[in-house]
Amino acid sequence: MASAVQTFTKIGKVIRLNRHGCTNRPFYHIVVQKTKDTQDGPVIEQVGSFDAMPNSQNEKLVALNLERIQYWLAQGAGLSDPVAQLLGLSGFLPNHPRTLIQAWKNRREPPRERKIEAIIGIAPPLDNPKI
Amino acid sequence: MFGSSGSRVLNVINISYLQSRSKRVWVRKPLGSPMAKSKIFRITPKPVLPEDEKAEIKRLFDNYKNSMKSIRQYFFEQSLKQAESGEVAQMKHRLDDQEHERLMEENRLENEKTAMLRQERLKIQAEKAQQNVLASLIKKERESKLHEIQIEDFLMKQMSTPFIQPENIEKAIEDALANPVNFNFALDLDGYIYRGKDTSIDTIPEEKRERLNSN
Repeated sequence: MASAVQTFTKIGKVIRLNRHGCTNRPFYHIVVQKTKDTQDGPVIEQVGSFDAMPNSQNEKLVALNLERIQYWLAQGAGLSDPVAQLLGLSGFLPNHPRTLIQAWKNRREPPRERKIEAIIGIAPPLDNPKI
Repeated sequence: MFGSSGSRVLNVINISYLQSRSKRVWVRKPLGSPMAKSKIFRITPKPVLPEDEKAEIKRLFDNYKNSMKSIRQYFFEQSLKQAESGEVAQMKHRLDDQEHERLMEENRLENEKTAMLRQERLKIQAEKAQQNVLASLIKKERESKLHEIQIEDFLMKQMSTPFIQPENIEKAIEDALANPVNFNFALDLDGYIYRGKDTSIDTIPEEKRERLNSN
């Protein structure tokens, strides 16, 4: 823009996962951010967490601040796919189609020969083709 | 190779640009560079899905999007309702009402003040007007009286002049015929006046000459 007038374009907000944690040990914060900001950029509000590594009771723990999520959805925030899936599984929103698709794909295809064994039902399915 | 060329600068509002050195940021391959040798003859297998699966996926997604739209709308309406009935809104309403009352009171006081001032001003003006009217009336009376007196004088003067009434007319005519008035005269360089039309200088002796007085 040539003129010196400031333009106020509406930047959308998104609820998505921010990867924290260490190498080979991801831990996600469920977070409200502006779309333009990067994953490690400024965060408007943290609205939950998701631990991708199952614990000793074979659980993946998810925390959700449903009141705040409702507020941000009312304000017009978008949802990323994983967050939508988690909310569907929790019962707050309808189940995401991706959950069902993943489920029937897992049932259909037998897992291929791998050097490392994936612990079925606990560890996430291995998607590194080199292993 | 391309990613670690220079550290990325974070775009943070209200703070100066920060550098992020913790992550290796993805940067796309330069546009002019050639395709890698391991990738030249690569043909990626296109993922084939059967028709019924595609239809099922589409159906699922359509239903999901539909419900998500309605849920979002519902949340929005709920938020509006809450905003109206919430504590903050109520307090705001109360404060606004108080403010309104205060301002109305202020306005009333101000109006009263100006009303007082206006009344005084009007009183003074009324008095002045009254005085003016009185003065003008008096003046008019005086003038009319003067006028009357003048008229009286004039009439008297007119009456006192010897008018010729119908009774006196014959006498006046006889008098006029008997005493003719001759307005002719002549002046001398020495300052003597000779009245009458047919007067000659020789007939009048020196002593009886009239001296013309220049009054």
